[in-house]
Amino acid sequence: MIRKLVGLTVLSTMLMGSVSTSFAQEAVVWWDFLGGGDGVRMKKLIEDFNAEHAGNIQIEATTLEWGVPFYTKVQTSAAVGEGPDIMTYHASRIPLAVSQGTLAEITADDWSAMGLGAETFAEATWDAVSIDGKQYAVPFDTHPIVLYYNKDKLEAAGLIGADGQPTGLEGVDGFKAALQKLKDGGTQYGVALTTADGSFAFRLIYSLLCQQGGSIGNDGAWLEGDNQGKLENAVQVISDWVSEGLAPEYTDYPSTVALFTSGESAFMVNGVWEVPTMVDLEAQGKLFNWGAIEIPALFDKTCTYADSHAFAIPNNAGKTQTPERHAAVLEVIKWMSDNSLFWATAGHIPANKAVLDSDEYKAMQPQATYAQLTESQIFDPRSPFAGVASPLFDAAGNAFTAAMNNEIDAATAAQEMKEALDSMQ
Amino acid sequence: MLRSRRSDYFAAAVLVAPFIAIFGWMFIYPTIQMVQLSFTKSPLIGAGEWIGFDNYVRMFEDRLFWTAVWNTAYFVLLTVIPGTAVALGIALMVSRLKGWTQSLILAMFFLPYILPVTVVHLIWDWMLNLQFGIAQYLIEPLAGKRVNVWRTTPWFMPMAALLTIWWTNGFSILLFLAGLRNIPRELYEAAQLDGGTRWQIFSKITWPLIWPVTALCLTIQLILQLKIFDQVYLFAQGGRTNATMVLVQYIYEQAFQKNAGGYAATIAVALFVIVVVASVLNYQFLRARDLGK
Repeated sequence: MIRKLVGLTVLSTMLMGSVSTSFAQEAVVWWDFLGGGDGVRMKKLIEDFNAEHAGNIQIEATTLEWGVPFYTKVQTSAAVGEGPDIMTYHASRIPLAVSQGTLAEITADDWSAMGLGAETFAEATWDAVSIDGKQYAVPFDTHPIVLYYNKDKLEAAGLIGADGQPTGLEGVDGFKAALQKLKDGGTQYGVALTTADGSFAFRLIYSLLCQQGGSIGNDGAWLEGDNQGKLENAVQVISDWVSEGLAPEYTDYPSTVALFTSGESAFMVNGVWEVPTMVDLEAQGKLFNWGAIEIPALFDKTCTYADSHAFAIPNNAGKTQTPERHAAVLEVIKWMSDNSLFWATAGHIPANKAVLDSDEYKAMQPQATYAQLTESQIFDPRSPFAGVASPLFDAAGNAFTAAMNNEIDAATAAQEMKEALDSMQ
Repeated sequence: MLRSRRSDYFAAAVLVAPFIAIFGWMFIYPTIQMVQLSFTKSPLIGAGEWIGFDNYVRMFEDRLFWTAVWNTAYFVLLTVIPGTAVALGIALMVSRLKGWTQSLILAMFFLPYILPVTVVHLIWDWMLNLQFGIAQYLIEPLAGKRVNVWRTTPWFMPMAALLTIWWTNGFSILLFLAGLRNIPRELYEAAQLDGGTRWQIFSKITWPLIWPVTALCLTIQLILQLKIFDQVYLFAQGGRTNATMVLVQYIYEQAFQKNAGGYAATIAVALFVIVVVASVLNYQFLRARDLGK
């Protein structure tokens, strides 16, 4: 017995020795899906982190293909214990991941080790990473859709108020009148939308549904009561814009951006992640005066679709993280959260409220202007079938693409959407 | 005598064993697993409960499955025979050229074949772009207005077939060209001496002698196009994917997006059966033609 104890002591001392040396170069394997302008900024953050933690922690980052390929790879590799130490994750994809056991819980100890917690984030953001009171990721940002505008065109049409911000955009009719004014003023389209991609446009339709106080529902109870009618109203708004030539028909994502940046469209509805595109073009002197604001209240109140990039730790089967590796991962997450001001240059709204309240952020335009929407943001329904690149998004592509371009009517599209959601099992 | 035959068997078994082992391990075993999976309600990863023929009943009642079957058949119809015919036509023309012009023209036809599907997707997506695409100048006079080809269901499959033929034709052309070079020149000289017309020369000499290559091309194309996925998936993304769904895409969607491994396996079994039946029919048809000679 004593010999055993001695043996154990020797062994644990040896282990601790080896651990402390390995901590000297803890390598954290990192996967993300950030391929665009935000990917460039994330690389910079990672470089800064590595420089600051030289000889201590090093992030070994790999960028994978966004969407289904990323999530399939994460899911399959975690199941065989080959996942990374840390990865970026959409909050909207957490329900599916948790139902499959792909993600490790962020425990109370983890939160206190990072010095972060519920009070760090907006309530909706915190809820988005929680399931049954447990958290499975650390929110890094929220990335809603916003309304980009061409300030020169709006000024010419008298749509800029005394405070320098767009005005007169409230209400379905009010917004349409504004679009008509812009079109009459010689702009080809009032607003550029991804009308060829119903799954992308779902973000706007979902916002408009919420603006009427409607809800898409959840598993087993999709679009109940008058919600289907409210969804129909939301789709109708867009198909009216298209049928009256205020928005372009069957337009894909790159063309949407091109229509706006070339000045052929005065507004554009798109994610905040296009902010770097505008900033870069402006720096090259190739862009008009522009801005971005919260989607105006076309119905009863403001409400905007948002998702959150978060950091998650995979539940690698049969391969638990060593305490040292785990501590390093938490340090990475904490550092990123503390330094998310730079991330805001990619357009995203930092999830960390302290960063949001800083003077540097408040001086950042147009980010500080649209950041108020975090008060009224809405995330995807908490279902394993929802989230970016999910079956729900596919169903939206099928139902809304034809309706936005007036091939089928809005009522049929709402009905199709309900049937598609009900058939998910 | 007996003994040596037995040792022959032994030697043969030893020589064949590695192949049998690898084939069994890499192909037969997963196939059996797939069939087993189709009787369960499994997610993408991990085991699921046994539910008998429920998945099959569901599949036969699944409207989207039949849409996928029809779209796949339609795509095969649009690509296999037309594609092979176009390849033969191009090969006949290229074979009349001589020297470096032949190499140059051949290279031009072969070039698309080496492109990855993502590049093909980008090229055609931009050419056909509604606002900025160069191909809209051709479509506008034809259709009377600009058409977003990838969002207009009647246009989708024919255009996907067209670009697939453009993309994969180079290989068939090469096969045909090799076949044409194997036809002895004397046959053509003799036919010309006897005053054969061009059509007679083609139908009585070229066509019968190139038939084995044609049969090969048709078979390769048939099996390849039944497995159509990439192009349709890439071009339909975000739009009305259900209207243009093909079988492999449906398997992918069920397995990787809806996390329904069991049902995906059921559709995979169906596709397997379709490929086997189509191949047998194809073989019987080609054999019948050979016997009829």
